[in-house]
Amino acid sequence: MLTAEQNDELTDIAPGTPMGELLRRYWYPVAFTRELEEFPVKHARLLGEDWAVYKTASGRYGIMPEACPHRRASMAYGVVESNGLRCPYHGWLFGLDGECLEQPAERDETNFRERVRAKAGLAQELGGLVWGYVGPMPAPELPRFDVFVMDGVRDIGWADLPCNFVQIMENAVDPHHVEFLHGRYFQFVGQQHGFEAPASFAKKHVKVGFDAFEWGIIKRRVVEGATEEDDDWAVGHPLVFPYNMRVGGANIEQMQIRVPIDRTTTRFMLYSVHAPDGIEFPEQPVVPDYNIPVFNEDGRHRTDYVEGQDIMAWVTQGAITDRTVEHLGRSDVGVTMLRRMFKSEMAKVAAGEDPLGTIREPHERIDLPCEKNKFDAGPQFALDFIDMASSRFSPQADALKKLHITAWEGRQKT
Amino acid sequence: MSTSPRGIDQSFGLDVGRGYFPADADSHRRDAPRFCPSCAAPLALADGGRGLAVEYWIGADRVFVCYCAACHWSGDIVLAERVMGHEAVE
Repeated sequence: MLTAEQNDELTDIAPGTPMGELLRRYWYPVAFTRELEEFPVKHARLLGEDWAVYKTASGRYGIMPEACPHRRASMAYGVVESNGLRCPYHGWLFGLDGECLEQPAERDETNFRERVRAKAGLAQELGGLVWGYVGPMPAPELPRFDVFVMDGVRDIGWADLPCNFVQIMENAVDPHHVEFLHGRYFQFVGQQHGFEAPASFAKKHVKVGFDAFEWGIIKRRVVEGATEEDDDWAVGHPLVFPYNMRVGGANIEQMQIRVPIDRTTTRFMLYSVHAPDGIEFPEQPVVPDYNIPVFNEDGRHRTDYVEGQDIMAWVTQGAITDRTVEHLGRSDVGVTMLRRMFKSEMAKVAAGEDPLGTIREPHERIDLPCEKNKFDAGPQFALDFIDMASSRFSPQADALKKLHITAWEGRQKT
Repeated sequence: MSTSPRGIDQSFGLDVGRGYFPADADSHRRDAPRFCPSCAAPLALADGGRGLAVEYWIGADRVFVCYCAACHWSGDIVLAERVMGHEAVE
């Protein structure tokens, strides 16, 4: 339980607020790479502000506020030039760093151009996504987390959800929900609709634990029939502060990304890499992305797959869940730990320090701890994952299953 | 990527219409620790502090997970219904 003021501070991501200032220290996906291949400029909304994201003919990426500093027409309809983005209305040209380079209708001898620098951010491509940074300079490095650089077959499901991102992140430090939301509730839905829910999700939690580490919080669990020697406890998987969760198992590596689009909208992305051993991966000139369903035609949440159940639980808490009337128990200590972490990182930013998870050294790859043998379920987990989770909506779902089966058969022969 | 409404959010209030436990919310506001046990800086935003007190329950005990942004002290403060000692080892 929190006071209304604390809840307000935790969830308000506008510029100048403590949470808004903290979140502006990180890079976020703002477009799929294929989108800017199809058309080189587009609108993006991030942290409650509107942006124009673009790619020049030479392959450089840029991001600047959507409203032109001149008369506020949309730069998302701009003309992409070799050195920046030109407003479609009167032709003002802004460089990648936001400098106003041309004002075609103004006289050259004035210094008017120098008054109207746009607040440009930085943009880069990595792993099939275009990433934007819109905070203070100098910008930190774009973290090259393992899933974004590893070999394998990529697959991105996504949906824009009508709720604040913090309640989604709190789910990432709440292991107990799995056995009910994805276990008992899944079984109930299956009984009603005539399918069998995967048994591995229903295993009772014997013990949960949380450790702060350099990238966030490692979540650990011991489920019934397993021990502390098993991956779920010995390795666990991390909440990657402040807006990701790294999960995996049975040769599927995944980052669950929760981009704060604005205070009451979160882009939920499931960035998966299918990487079974002993098989050659097919070429992927374009990383497939696809919408995952949130609602049925009758307006109720679609809850016959794992992430649909999560989405139902996140969204039905309310656009901004009212934490003044919640009742946390001992099993929610991970949630209290995350709130404390948000608060302490806000304090660091207010003191002029870099918050947790910002990196300034160039690097090739950041490996995150993540269990391999999920819920002690063995290789069946990969097929359950594709059949019963968001990957079932992927245009390449059948090919992904075949990939895992072929690799499994190959491993059995050797 | 987004098709959401545009403009900077500044007017959203809290979703207080869904409150079902006003008595517990009142108790929280009344009983949450107001000052840091370490440096005495105010914790509550309402008192001008920058700290945090998250409340959870263990049976009848009320636990406040506290953080002070002034000195970075962090710890739990428990309003305990009973105080128990060790039980004898059998």
